[in-house]
Amino acid sequence: MNFNPRPATKKLLILLVLLVCDALVAGAVPRLRWGADPSGGAPYVFSDPSHPESYTGFDHEFAEALARQMGMNAEFMPTDWESIVASLQRKEFDVIINGFEPTEDRAREVLFSKPYYLFQLQLTVRKGESRIRSIEDCKRLGIAVGTLVNCSSSRMLDAGGYQSVGYQDPVGAYKDLEIGRINAVVMDVAAEMFYARKNSSLRQAGKPFNTGAYVVGIRKEDKALLTRVNAAIDSLANNGTTEKIFRKWDLWNEEQLTLRTERPVKYEVTSAMFNWSEGLIKLSKAAGVTVLLAFGAMVIAVVLGVPLALGQSNGNRLVSSLCTVYIEFFRGTPVLVQLLFLYFGLPVVGITLPGWLTAIVGLGLNYAAYESQVYRTAFQSVPSRQWHVAYSLGMRPVQAFRRIIFPQAFRIALPPMTNDFVALFKDTSTAFAIAVWELATAYRELANATQSYLGIGVVVCCYYLAMSLPLAHLAHRLEQRLQRKSAGILSSGSDK
Amino acid sequence: MITIKNLSASVEGTRLLNNISMELESGRILGIIGPSGNGKTTILMCLCGLLPFESGSITIDGQTLLAKESKTISETLWAFRKKSGIVFQHLHLFPHLTVLSNIIEAPIQVSRKTRTEAEREAMLLLEKLGIDQYRNKFPEELSGGEQQRVAILRALAMNPRVLMLDEPTSALDPIRSGDVRQLLQEFAAEGHTVVIVSHSVRFLKGFVDHLAFMGKSELIEINTTKELLEHPKDERTREYLRFSELS
Repeated sequence: MNFNPRPATKKLLILLVLLVCDALVAGAVPRLRWGADPSGGAPYVFSDPSHPESYTGFDHEFAEALARQMGMNAEFMPTDWESIVASLQRKEFDVIINGFEPTEDRAREVLFSKPYYLFQLQLTVRKGESRIRSIEDCKRLGIAVGTLVNCSSSRMLDAGGYQSVGYQDPVGAYKDLEIGRINAVVMDVAAEMFYARKNSSLRQAGKPFNTGAYVVGIRKEDKALLTRVNAAIDSLANNGTTEKIFRKWDLWNEEQLTLRTERPVKYEVTSAMFNWSEGLIKLSKAAGVTVLLAFGAMVIAVVLGVPLALGQSNGNRLVSSLCTVYIEFFRGTPVLVQLLFLYFGLPVVGITLPGWLTAIVGLGLNYAAYESQVYRTAFQSVPSRQWHVAYSLGMRPVQAFRRIIFPQAFRIALPPMTNDFVALFKDTSTAFAIAVWELATAYRELANATQSYLGIGVVVCCYYLAMSLPLAHLAHRLEQRLQRKSAGILSSGSDK
Repeated sequence: MITIKNLSASVEGTRLLNNISMELESGRILGIIGPSGNGKTTILMCLCGLLPFESGSITIDGQTLLAKESKTISETLWAFRKKSGIVFQHLHLFPHLTVLSNIIEAPIQVSRKTRTEAEREAMLLLEKLGIDQYRNKFPEELSGGEQQRVAILRALAMNPRVLMLDEPTSALDPIRSGDVRQLLQEFAAEGHTVVIVSHSVRFLKGFVDHLAFMGKSELIEINTTKELLEHPKDERTREYLRFSELS
């Protein structure tokens, strides 16, 4: 058979050639791969509401302009804010352009370009709030301040000895402020303008303060790239491109003009020196929260599981199907989604629980579904004749349950319950999603702040093991005791 | 004394007892024979108040249980249940309790006896059957016959007026031995009643003083053991006895 390309094959060939050409052309113009977190990232970088497929924001425009100035093609690499430095180190992109502030701890990991924008912080409170006029008031009154994790404001709060609550994005922080979970939020003016200023239930407390700078972050070894980026930043400042971009986003002020001069600009560099003893205290507190979450949730699960199990197997048709719906819903959807739903959904109907309580309730409701099934199986595996025997001896239902049925079912239920509890211990880490400062959140924050993923990671694992191993051991011993009891190895008289 | 009047009962829609009436005086041992699936176990379940029946009544020692009372949890039902004790075919000892605890559980919980008193009585019973050395063992460590003795003692400890045994010969080491027989005969001689359901005529012969033959959901005939075995009145009884002698 001779080769006779059909039209479809021809089209495919042409497409292939075009693709190769495209790749060659793209290869000819060097790429500037820049990283930023677009989730809740307005007005820095975020999904363009009118074109959800593409991104917009002042950092997006600035990165495009910077690359063009350097004769390169800007390529945006979406990443996660909290671990943005680690991602740069892993070479997922070449520069960070994301309202990135120079801090002492980051200076150990990355190079900073010249500033391209000077920013300030703004404190926001609810409209009716009269106690708080400045950030100092928060400290004096012992009020926890919400802010973004891993940024200069969070470092400023830590260093200044303020109580703080870390959020993954500004949306969550202002939402919690609005519904009263927290009483104050401090954030870069740019974010504050976009997310809080138009909100009629919030107001600015005091003037913007604490001038800082946005710079481009570059890997330590890329010294040549730093020189080129700095030159491009100067050109953009002097030819008015920077001004044009920030004016467009309503973030321009006269102070930015100082960036045009050759003189080094003064701005504050916050620092977060990791202090191991302080870090361990923080981790211990977080571990305490984890224990609280696990035990609280288990109590709810163990107690609520009983009516669910009884309702499902002994209730009338309506009760039984309601219980089944409950069980299937909580087993069939991710616990993380359930937590978010409770955290953000309940306030809509007027129930506002603090994060830790939401986590306890959410995990408890979730595990109750599992416990109910453990109970159901356990009770079903006790022969119904055991009830008959107890009744024939004159026992009342409560007596029969308590003395005869329950002890047997408990023996069957204990191993799976132990498993569930250990699993629950680990599932408490989902509470990071709703800003609960438990062990996994502490690990992310401390490790990101210090870049010591390994060291702190080992410590955190030790904490988890220190909590779960004794638990597993205890359960194992209890199981053994029950088994030994049924095998009669206990010496005589011990039954008295 | 047991009086059954027009007793009818069904299990899962199947009529297993149809209009049964009989009387049994105290101090007697009654054996119930008949092909399996003909309601022998059902009548025991009704006699100990575990199976609701549709119509009729049962009276044990002056305590009457009517059909409607058998269906709902009531004080009458509790009082009635205390009159009888049962040893199930598969015994169903409490696996999580020791031999001694199996026996004293109900006396303490239901009869409100002190632990010391309940233990003392239980030990007397255990000694009578020569298994007092097993008091702290768990059921699964015992042989079938030993388990059966414990189950009998567990029922006897509540001092019921009537003791029922369902297919006692199916235990691995069934009550052939003289001491259990003696115990049951003593129990009957004290003015109690014993009812034993069994498919083995050979086992019942020479042990029970009355025999009842159950055909399909019906009581075909009841008589003294000697009379029923030597002069069965009904053709179905004769056929069954012929068949059981062959086996």
